[in-house]
Amino acid sequence: MIITGTITYAIRGRDILRKHGYSANMEKTKSTLNHGCGYSISVSGNIDEITEILRSSAIKILDINKQ
Amino acid sequence: MIYLDNAATTGVKPLGVKKAVANAINNLSANPGRSGHMVAQRAGEAIYKTRQQVADLFSSGSQSVVFTPNCTQAINYVIKGVLQEGDHVIISSMEHNAVARPIHRLKTDGVIDYDIAQVIMGDSEATIRSFERLIRPNTKLIISLHGSNVTGELMPIKELAKCCRDRGILFAVDAAQTAGVIPINMREIGIDFLFIAPHKGLYAPMGTGILIAEKPIEKTIIEGGTGSYSNLLSQPDELPDRLESGTVNLPGIMGISAGIDFLNNVGIDKIYSHEKQFCRVLCDELKSISGVSVFSALAEAELGAPVVSFNIDGLTSMETAELLSKKGIAVRAGLHCAPLAHLTIGTADIGTVRVSPSYFNKHSDIFLLKRAIFDIKKAKNIAKRY
Repeated sequence: MIITGTITYAIRGRDILRKHGYSANMEKTKSTLNHGCGYSISVSGNIDEITEILRSSAIKILDINKQ
Repeated sequence: MIYLDNAATTGVKPLGVKKAVANAINNLSANPGRSGHMVAQRAGEAIYKTRQQVADLFSSGSQSVVFTPNCTQAINYVIKGVLQEGDHVIISSMEHNAVARPIHRLKTDGVIDYDIAQVIMGDSEATIRSFERLIRPNTKLIISLHGSNVTGELMPIKELAKCCRDRGILFAVDAAQTAGVIPINMREIGIDFLFIAPHKGLYAPMGTGILIAEKPIEKTIIEGGTGSYSNLLSQPDELPDRLESGTVNLPGIMGISAGIDFLNNVGIDKIYSHEKQFCRVLCDELKSISGVSVFSALAEAELGAPVVSFNIDGLTSMETAELLSKKGIAVRAGLHCAPLAHLTIGTADIGTVRVSPSYFNKHSDIFLLKRAIFDIKKAKNIAKRY
């Protein structure tokens, strides 16, 4: 679970990951309120590659919850 | 009623826009970017889709697209967000009060200083020199409209952008009259801030505005809930949340989306060609009437925003507009919230009557307007005899 904070980051990040072949979904962050209410990207796969894709697209990642 | 006041807001909205607004109210009435339930998420997706459409239309990043209640607020966000004490600003002599008033307010508050660059009608190079002469070491921002809401005069924004870029000055463009009518590529031109009135050229409902901010906005003038970073009392740094406090106008934004679909389906070039031709014919017809003065870039130039101003000798613009209204023709008269522009063209005392078509106006409207003007002149001459 990639916690992005804003819904805009979450939807944009989801769409970028889908273009890279990942099955990604946007959802309301449920796991923590450490970053306030916000949105996350639910995705499975190589976390290093996923975060690199998102960071290179200027998606701000607040936290990563590995489940 | 023949509606020829589309520069104020487009009078006829496409069916798709009406359906989109109704769909938002009927099926997506949930707060986007707040709740996590399905309807709220679908509403959030609809907003994001519209951001992308706007970004594609004006060649910007989707995250730079900020939805505002109107174009004036978008302008205020930038003017009051980027300017600091001691900064200098240059605006054009054709600016709308949406730009001129907040700038003037900051000057009277002792925060900034500003100058007005004289626009030389039909002479872009001279206009650019007007701006260049006023640049100071502390000039932080140049704001120019793209097309005048009084005469349709187009400003040389490409050259002004280069002038700003070469000197490290921020460049903001008020595209209230041109967005959706004349293509604008922000990145190619080098525009830092673009202001849009979607209820005009994008055929969206009123109560909508757009700011595209490609540069940071340090200060906010409105703070509040954004649905994000809600554990913090400080406003989020990221756009669009930084400038979108409070519930956004989902029906209006979905109307923007449908308006852009309409533009893409018809084609901006086709829409502009239709409106430009309308204005050209109208200018020719008005000029053929004795005692009528015409003020429009499209009377002479190849390009211009689709706006034609005129006056009938012996009548104030307000009197003419009232008489036209009684004959079922809706136009706008007065200063059009642009006193600087009227000082520039020499009509500050009586204003002008403004005719502004949309894609939905027919050329037959021109001849009905011309006949109405003839009737007004005839009645005026008869009244004079008695």
